[in-house]
Amino acid sequence: MCLIAAGIDVFGRSIKYHRPRGPWCLSGHCSGCLMRIDGIPNQRSCEIHCRSGMLVERQSGWPGTGFDMLRAVDWLSGERLDHHSMFTSSSTMNRLAARIVRRFSGYGDPPSADPPAAVPMRKQDAKTVIIGAGAAGLSAALALASAGHELLLFESSRRVGGRLLDAATSISEPGGRADDQIESGWSCLQKIEKRLADSSGIETHTGTGVLAVYPGERFEVLASNLEQTFLVRAERLIICSGAYEQLPLFANNDLPGLFGIRALDRLVCGYGVVPGEPLVVVGDSERALRLADLLAENDLTLSGVVTKRREGEAIDRLRARGVPVFFDYKPTGARGGRRLDRIELAPAGGLEADLILDCRACAIEAPAAPAYELAYHAGCRVGFASDSGYQVTTEGDGMTSHGNIFAAGHCTGSRSTEEALLHGEQAGRACALSIREEES
Amino acid sequence: MSKTIVCRCEDVSLSDLEDAFKQGYHDLESLKRYTGFSTGFCQGKGCTAHAARFLAGLQGGDDMVADPPRVRPLLHPTPAIRFAGEDDGGGEENT
Amino acid sequence: MKDRADLVIIGGGIIGLSLAYYLSRMGFSDIVVLEQGYLCFGASGRNGGGVRQQWSTADHIKLARMSVRLFRQLARETGYNIWFRQGGYLFLARDAESASALSANVELQNSLGVPTRLIDVREARRIVPGLAGRNVTACAYNSTDGVLFPWPAVWGMAKTARQLGVEIETFTRLIGIDVHDGRIAKVITSRGAIATRRVINAAGGWSAQVARLAGCQLPNRPYRHEILVSEPLRPFLDPMLCDLSDGTYFSQTMRGEICGGLSDPEEPSSMNSASSFRFLGRMCRSMTRMMPRLGGVKILRQWAGYYDETPDGNPILGPSKEVEGFIQFNGFGGHGFMLAPAIGKIGAEWLLREAEHEIFKKYAPDRFGKNPAPKESLVLG
Repeated sequence: MCLIAAGIDVFGRSIKYHRPRGPWCLSGHCSGCLMRIDGIPNQRSCEIHCRSGMLVERQSGWPGTGFDMLRAVDWLSGERLDHHSMFTSSSTMNRLAARIVRRFSGYGDPPSADPPAAVPMRKQDAKTVIIGAGAAGLSAALALASAGHELLLFESSRRVGGRLLDAATSISEPGGRADDQIESGWSCLQKIEKRLADSSGIETHTGTGVLAVYPGERFEVLASNLEQTFLVRAERLIICSGAYEQLPLFANNDLPGLFGIRALDRLVCGYGVVPGEPLVVVGDSERALRLADLLAENDLTLSGVVTKRREGEAIDRLRARGVPVFFDYKPTGARGGRRLDRIELAPAGGLEADLILDCRACAIEAPAAPAYELAYHAGCRVGFASDSGYQVTTEGDGMTSHGNIFAAGHCTGSRSTEEALLHGEQAGRACALSIREEES
Repeated sequence: MSKTIVCRCEDVSLSDLEDAFKQGYHDLESLKRYTGFSTGFCQGKGCTAHAARFLAGLQGGDDMVADPPRVRPLLHPTPAIRFAGEDDGGGEENT
Repeated sequence: MKDRADLVIIGGGIIGLSLAYYLSRMGFSDIVVLEQGYLCFGASGRNGGGVRQQWSTADHIKLARMSVRLFRQLARETGYNIWFRQGGYLFLARDAESASALSANVELQNSLGVPTRLIDVREARRIVPGLAGRNVTACAYNSTDGVLFPWPAVWGMAKTARQLGVEIETFTRLIGIDVHDGRIAKVITSRGAIATRRVINAAGGWSAQVARLAGCQLPNRPYRHEILVSEPLRPFLDPMLCDLSDGTYFSQTMRGEICGGLSDPEEPSSMNSASSFRFLGRMCRSMTRMMPRLGGVKILRQWAGYYDETPDGNPILGPSKEVEGFIQFNGFGGHGFMLAPAIGKIGAEWLLREAEHEIFKKYAPDRFGKNPAPKESLVLG
């Protein structure tokens, strides 16, 4: 975030076409923010705390990232490049080409720092491991703990909360109208954290992402942080791994300056960093419109908000502030040299872009892809939902196809925060029941 | 040059995917290997859903994409030194 | 799918495809190759791409030497880059016994035209900056060994064979082999039957299972071998580095990833292809012991495949006596890929022109207990 604040837009160059790239997910799941930090290559700079004296270097492009001559590959290749069949007409030519390609292969130089000190392994047993401390994971943890069971809770971010930390998250009471009883994600989180503090039996490790769940008689949960690596043999799992924000496909969708909705929320509202103005927000959900509203409220220049919604408080407020609101357009192209200059949109159902919005940063909403990998690898069935991707298959109480694995929240395909809180609690209770049944 | 990028880590454009399909790579695993999508740094977090949708669209249905490409550890790239430590003795020993 | 063919090859891995490739280039293409999954599904899609001529038996050395020559032409012949990089193989011995075995092997290799050299630790560290040289008793280095990218080799051979008329049926499982009067009559697959008189068993880890379908016994047993790959980095490691004490091997791929594995003496024979933490821990310990700077390199992914192993570490080649028309091309352990071009070419000549070759005598299916072949000892992974 410091780098964005400092005005860096191009963080690196893409591996084949050498296109300019930058951060867009800001949640540690893409490769847009990779930097060489203190002599170690390919580090996700969005996850690393800035420190005085830190050496941060860009690592791709030739001769450099700002000006990369190898971008010629992008310009000369049209829309595609099949690297499998290049330079195969003569063996000598082929060997020479291979040597040249090798010279420019790889992303980042090997570590120049001294070999790191050994990281101790900690092996332990646990009755239940909960993966992810977002809305669903926290609810599950509280439900399981209140039933008197101990658990281990792993969260890859430095803070628990997940989307509850986003400024644009709001939660309505179940059964109420959408605008009724709205509570902010933050306020909900504070209540949850108080209950956590009052609970016993919850061992929480933040900044410690789960890297794998090896199936077996008991699961081997592998998690790691800078200080320690855990290998936990667990009897049961509650997987609340969330989802990965996506950007839709359109021409030049990889330009620096494009962000996911949650990413922009985190950047501007969480860190107070404005990536550029004017901004555009494209999205249909409450969250997207609330974000646009927050940006406008804070006097940021919005050249447009693009949505399918025709009415609502947020839209009224935006209009009142003079922010242009456009209905039912979808992005067809992003334009700019090394970073976003404008976004082109076509009316829904149309192909020709007739709306062009000048912007330096644009947040676009697209269904997030559920984080199904850990559950799938551990042995759970997944299903394909064509708008969002693969998701963990569950029954009503959070049971997956594997008897000892429960799942809740966005990784199962359920998108709302209210559902995440509710299903997390159900999964926690179902897990508690399963433990009790086994013990009796 | 205008490209629609599906896999940012391995720089796979939509046209690269179409090209691979035309060459006869009609299942997700083969498409993945031929184009390289999901084999890079983020291991598919930003592109698998897109690629599956693409293939389902061309195949006229979701059958060919019912299973995602095989999932393997690790979820995030992690320094080798983190796994090189010996057991520090906490918890039960492997029997 | 054809319902009759002169030759059916079970297994669309590199061995089966290599046979189909060279046969079709010689003008014979009435062949159906049966592959149960997608191309690259088996070991041919899961290996580290190593190609070495440093072996302990003359036959392996000669086959590997021929394969190196053929690999150098493959990209031009098939129109697919296989990125064959001859960056060398560096073997490290860590005790006196391995050191003297290494020395004997180098002599044998030299006598067969392979320019391996015994070098000292100082030179080894020049070739591999960052190599930890403690406890190394001897090193052997051959600069003409190398690594390639296996997938395009598989695709390239398949594409050319198809263009020349071979049918390669993927996602097609073998269900049965019909034998009438001691002779192959037809194969039955998940998509129908194919009448044929000749079946080649090139099924790698599944070879023994396939043989049983024809009523034959093979001593092959599949073993899981695990492998991992790192983040892509700029080139900094030229050769494939191999440690004889524990079978650790790793090199840098064309994409810049460090890729390799090691032996596990406790791994039983199985068709388990899951990944384990045990491997991850052991491999990372071994890698960081051999090259400490690798500690800071990030591991990206681990996976596993099968070595199709035989009691003497040598392949099984040639016709089975029990069933006429049932021909074995399997048992390649962890080195089938690197020998595949030579096996394919020699095999094609033998099948088409009945060109005799000593490997069909030495590696005959019925050799066990009668004429055992000398055990190949330079096994990795």
